[in-house]
Amino acid sequence: MNRGPFIFIGVFIVLAFSWANLVHKPVQESGQLAAYFSDSERMPRLLPGEAEQGRQVYQQMGCVSCHTQQSRLESGFDIQRGWGSRQSVARDYIDQSPSLIGDRRLGPDLSNAAAGDRDREWHHLHFYNPQITSKGSNMPSYSFLYDKTAVMGQKSDRALNLPEEFAVESGYQIVPSRRAEALVAYMLSLQVDYDLPEAPNPEKIGL
Amino acid sequence: MKLISNICSSLSPEFSGDSKHREGQLSIDGSVRFQLLGLIKSAIFWLVVSILFGLIASIKLHSPGFLGHCEWLTYGKVEPVFWNSLIYGWLFNAGLACSFWLLVRLGGAPAGNGFLLTVSLSIWNVALIVGLLGILMGGMLPITWRDSFTVSGQLPYEWLEMPAFIVPVLLAAFLGMGLWGVLAFRERVHRVVYASQWYILAALFAFAWIYTVVQVMLMSQPAQGTLQYLIGSWYANNLLMVVIVPFALAVVYYMLPKVLGKPIVGYNHSGKAFWSWILFASSAGSAELLYGPVPSWVSSVGIIAAFGILYPLSIFSIQFLSTLFASFSRIWETISLRFIFFGCIGFLLFGCYFIYGSLRVTQDVVQFSSFNNGVQLLGLLGFATMVFSGCLYFILSRLLNKELPSAGLAELHFWMQLLGVFLVVSSLITGGMQEGELMNGSVTGVLSIVANMKSYYAMATLGMGLILVGAIGFMISFSMLLLSERSGKETTVNLIEESPDLEVSAT
Ligand code: HEC
Repeated sequence: MNRGPFIFIGVFIVLAFSWANLVHKPVQESGQLAAYFSDSERMPRLLPGEAEQGRQVYQQMGCVSCHTQQSRLESGFDIQRGWGSRQSVARDYIDQSPSLIGDRRLGPDLSNAAAGDRDREWHHLHFYNPQITSKGSNMPSYSFLYDKTAVMGQKSDRALNLPEEFAVESGYQIVPSRRAEALVAYMLSLQVDYDLPEAPNPEKIGL
Repeated sequence: MKLISNICSSLSPEFSGDSKHREGQLSIDGSVRFQLLGLIKSAIFWLVVSILFGLIASIKLHSPGFLGHCEWLTYGKVEPVFWNSLIYGWLFNAGLACSFWLLVRLGGAPAGNGFLLTVSLSIWNVALIVGLLGILMGGMLPITWRDSFTVSGQLPYEWLEMPAFIVPVLLAAFLGMGLWGVLAFRERVHRVVYASQWYILAALFAFAWIYTVVQVMLMSQPAQGTLQYLIGSWYANNLLMVVIVPFALAVVYYMLPKVLGKPIVGYNHSGKAFWSWILFASSAGSAELLYGPVPSWVSSVGIIAAFGILYPLSIFSIQFLSTLFASFSRIWETISLRFIFFGCIGFLLFGCYFIYGSLRVTQDVVQFSSFNNGVQLLGLLGFATMVFSGCLYFILSRLLNKELPSAGLAELHFWMQLLGVFLVVSSLITGGMQEGELMNGSVTGVLSIVANMKSYYAMATLGMGLILVGAIGFMISFSMLLLSERSGKETTVNLIEESPDLEVSAT
């Protein structure tokens, strides 16, 4: 092994092998998935405009550091925890770029964040200060996405209804910024409530 | 004025005395002194920056209100800045500084093309600052500016969070540095190529390869949906296993015989270890893809390849441990060797945990927990950081022909780093197992899992704090070394006794 080119060519071949196998082949095989239509409804659904902006906020704030968006059927308790009703499959993600799947779960999986009974108000309170809705959480507060404004005459109808101990001085109110509204719209659009023929669910695999 | 003249004397020293051997080395060192000091200065700066961000991120996990009102310091930004400055800042600058020094020393000839290296390392570090600011400021730029970037703010791929527009710049800067390395290698006069050189060439080439794949398949023409996730994970694994680990292995192969004055035990097995490491490590480690929306055979290939790592790992452990234990008492004599000894232990543990973590049964428990990050940090901090720190002390005193300003400071660096890394890694690994058991093995509510993890997060914070103290000690040592006045003894070429070039005759 006293020749540079020999090492270069060897390393090139090995890495090319790894790339061809683990990157190129999957891209060739399943890199051109199309949406699935059932009763002329497109699956997966496209995000509404405001939710698409919220997706960007989600990306910029680095929510992937703590949240995944994928539910697993063969391992863990994702279904029992209510984080999904079936296995996530590649087709669920065809419209998403960059992909926010994530591989770290400090908090719950969010692929079905809209599924429960959490409404707009809950999410706003949660983002403004997670301690309001989830005492003891270590999710950071996103209060910088909210504006503190003086109440002019009547309180804005978008202002948060803060509980007593988190309330601001009287005469002031907390109003979501555009980014906060977009983020909540995104949360409320996250729902995988459609079926795909290739997606395993508990019934299909007989659980 | 005095400081300036001291710096000048550090950068272009004048020596007296005669020793043919050492004079040759000094002229080799002289040909790269300015550039290597540039790399080392940046490396140490980034080490302090990254650990500072790591500390902030770690504190935020148990006290989420800490610095909570700063948008640019929110957890989701601080955490990627920690990883990116650790890898592309500290580990790359330090790894390249060590590698380039090894290349010229092993080659036995002064290197040319200093300008190429100066320019590309400056671009690399400036681009890195811009990229990290891109993460921190994402979403805070005025709307009109925001539209002018392809993607504003950070990307959601592991170890690739810097905005897309900076990737081609970093790639170009790296190609410049890599080209310099290859040219320095070609200008060698010792024709025998030592194991360290294989690893360096492999790492230089591998990074150019995988970063090009990233640029083409993730940035310019992103692949569809989940495949981006797959490409990102392939990249991160290869960055760790066939770029950073080889840089550090190159240092170990050089430093052990150099400091101990004895060749590596069983050196003739090195070729097998090299090729099998590159082969298996480049395909292993898709464990986090398990059960996800990507083809399942990809993770199966990863598991099989992870088993293959056992083979080179056994060769490494026999080589390194036999060499070290044969002169065990000497480990305490030099600070460099002490770092490297614990680095080797860190590497063997890392290899074992890596294989263990690739098993399906392990991932059933630890998937998505802090376990995987703990194993990565075992490789990045426990192995590469320890080994590079040790090698930098060795290089610095030779490059500047000066003695360490304070043994106590280096000692402080060593102990703080060792204890800190131990605390961080063990809290993430054991905490991750507990976290994973609750998260994947039960339906325990997330809030009670958070409460359960508090003590582990606190332990990691303590560890990060210790590493930070050590890193600051390192920075002070470096500054003092650079700024101190050259004593009479330090102008003689015989200040440092070099052991013979064992590596040239090793084959
Ligand atoms: C430090 C880690 C962390 C970060 C960063 C983080 N979260 Fe969370 N998140 C949590 C934890 C822990 C919980 C569970 C406790 C709670 O409800 O606060 C949670 C809960 C949630 C929930 C409630 C889900 C449910 O089903 O109960 C939503 C929605 C959410 N996060 C959205 C976000 C968004 C959007 C971001 C980015 C702007 C974000 N999170 C950033 C840790 C984090």
